[in-house]
Amino acid sequence: MNDTLTCENLSKSYGGVAAVRDVGFTVAPGEAYGLLGPNGAGKTTTISMLVGLLKPDTGTVVVGGADLAADPMAAKAKIGYVPQEIALYPDLTGRENLRFFCRLFGLPRREVRGRVEEVLDLVGLADRADAKLDTYSGGMKRRINIGAALLHRPELLILDEPTVGVDPQSRKSILDGLERLVADGMALLYTSHYMEEVERVCDRIAIVDHGSIVAEGTRHELVELVGGADRIELTLDGDVDTAVDKLRGLGGVTEAVRTAAGSVRLIAEGGRYLLPSVISTVDGIAAVTAVEVVEPDLEATFLHLTGSTLRD
Amino acid sequence: MRPHLTPHLRPHPVLALVAANLRRHSRDRVGLFFIVVMPFVSIIFVGMAFGGGAASRLPVGVVAQDSDPVAAAVLAELRAHPDLEVTAVGGEEELRAGVRGGALAAGVVIPPGSARFELVMTESSGSGMAARSAVDASVGRVAGVIEATRAATAAGATPAQAAELVRRAQAASADVEVVGSDMASGTPRGFAYTAPANLLLFTFINSMAVAAALVESRRIGMLPRAFTAPVRRGAVLFGEALSRFIVAAAQAVLIMVVSSLLFGVSWGEPLGVAAVVGVFALVATGAAILMGSLVRSSAQPSAIGPPLGIVLGMLGGCLWPAEAAGETLAAIGHLFPHAWGMDALLTLSRPGTGLGDVLLEVAVLGLMAAVLLSLSLVLFSRRTRTL
Repeated sequence: MNDTLTCENLSKSYGGVAAVRDVGFTVAPGEAYGLLGPNGAGKTTTISMLVGLLKPDTGTVVVGGADLAADPMAAKAKIGYVPQEIALYPDLTGRENLRFFCRLFGLPRREVRGRVEEVLDLVGLADRADAKLDTYSGGMKRRINIGAALLHRPELLILDEPTVGVDPQSRKSILDGLERLVADGMALLYTSHYMEEVERVCDRIAIVDHGSIVAEGTRHELVELVGGADRIELTLDGDVDTAVDKLRGLGGVTEAVRTAAGSVRLIAEGGRYLLPSVISTVDGIAAVTAVEVVEPDLEATFLHLTGSTLRD
Repeated sequence: MRPHLTPHLRPHPVLALVAANLRRHSRDRVGLFFIVVMPFVSIIFVGMAFGGGAASRLPVGVVAQDSDPVAAAVLAELRAHPDLEVTAVGGEEELRAGVRGGALAAGVVIPPGSARFELVMTESSGSGMAARSAVDASVGRVAGVIEATRAATAAGATPAQAAELVRRAQAASADVEVVGSDMASGTPRGFAYTAPANLLLFTFINSMAVAAALVESRRIGMLPRAFTAPVRRGAVLFGEALSRFIVAAAQAVLIMVVSSLLFGVSWGEPLGVAAVVGVFALVATGAAILMGSLVRSSAQPSAIGPPLGIVLGMLGGCLWPAEAAGETLAAIGHLFPHAWGMDALLTLSRPGTGLGDVLLEVAVLGLMAAVLLSLSLVLFSRRTRTL
């Protein structure tokens, strides 16, 4: 099956400083693809090029078979873009905003009413459609923000941090809705600071840092990149420094550091199985008052690959 | 390459943007108040101060001795003038204090036995300018009688014969109706002046104020989002510019229609007026988009626009006649659009004038509009290029 989005060798520089370097990936119909990266990693510049706002220095973008550079109108007509900001008129009603986007996308007048009602039902806002947007809650604004990108039934939906600042109930509603769209065959490109969202929604994930994709794959494939090391967080009461020295010598432990007054972090292969040895090693030196074993996850992978957390 | 669109995806972004923007403006009650009400409040009050009000008479103080024949004649003329309320003042100091304090629109000092009078007024006062015009007319009539009497006497007539000849000449001249002599020769007064002045003032100020919506659209990312739709970038920019032009033009048309119907203002040849108002609305549109491109907060246009518009209006003669400002300020004023707009509209308000008489003004305003629109649209496009 042909990919809905294919971008290759995308690069963009500003005054000699590379914002995006040689980025390329594909998104198939019915697939959700995540872009993960800290602020300044190049995600926004990449998206700006994918939606046709910025012209890349090099590279190509093809959406649904239409080359964005050669036939921008055809390519853009296949893209629904959901910006991070609530990019809707706050002094118009939800329905008026949706009608505006219908006209902007050139939908025939006879189809506008039906599409607007369809989207209002989809985002669960039919009962608030005639209220001004500035009276909506944060979650409602987020939902109508997504709805505005669905009116023309795009093949590819690009979402930039679509759940920032919404309550858990609205977040669940949004993610459920996105999963239904993907199940119906829509291709999704998703960026978020919320690792758990990306893990839930996306089939494949690219980790972006300093303008490049540093790793790409399924969640499982990415986690495998850092090996099977677990993280063990210990809270000790006693001679913590001596306990740390002893733990460094324990077989399987690759890293042992004191992170706070009574806190110690261990990185260990199969760490969960080492717990009895860990406790016996510090016995008589310090009392273990709390233990947490964290299995390898995307956060750890991200830290391993970029040297920073996603929210840095 | 011309983009090919499927028939069901032929966008109408310009109309969509214009409709959305106008709907937003129509819901801004404060904005509507400044567009629909404020211009007419200003026209009425300033127009009456300039002599447009039917019932108002301008208070003029006079320091003179009734026993002096010339003074008596001037006083009689001043008292006969329908626009003046003449008050005898005891001394020059009192007269000056009255003018300074605003109790008197102007004052006239007539020294005994002298044919040289002193006019006391404040140049920045519209009522002072109007009073000056009336005093000039009255004094001119007395001077005419004196000159005619002197000429008759020099020609050999006795004083009695000279007086009779002058009386006959005055009676004959009373049969000659002079229509709008002040309109044809100098700056129009009353509503004829304040209506065009406020048209320019409010068209510009309200255009700057509606730039707030443009800043808001930019700030919330509405425009970058619009650029991701299958529409040409130029179409989106044109839609935004057209929305602002419609507001500016609607403001101008509203003032013209209402001032014609309610105050009897005659704007002049329609083609010339349309050209002047059209290019001035383009100037205001360019200024609005420039403002919308430069500032960061949507509160800034409302804070910056009105003071800027008022200063430009002052320099351009929208708050008082340009001649009252002096040559230097008038020259500075012509660096900005209001002065050219006022020149053009006041010229057109005179009978027998038309587009041909204001071509220079229209050309200058057109040039200003072209520069402002080009600059602002380039800047605006750059400011909306990224997400």
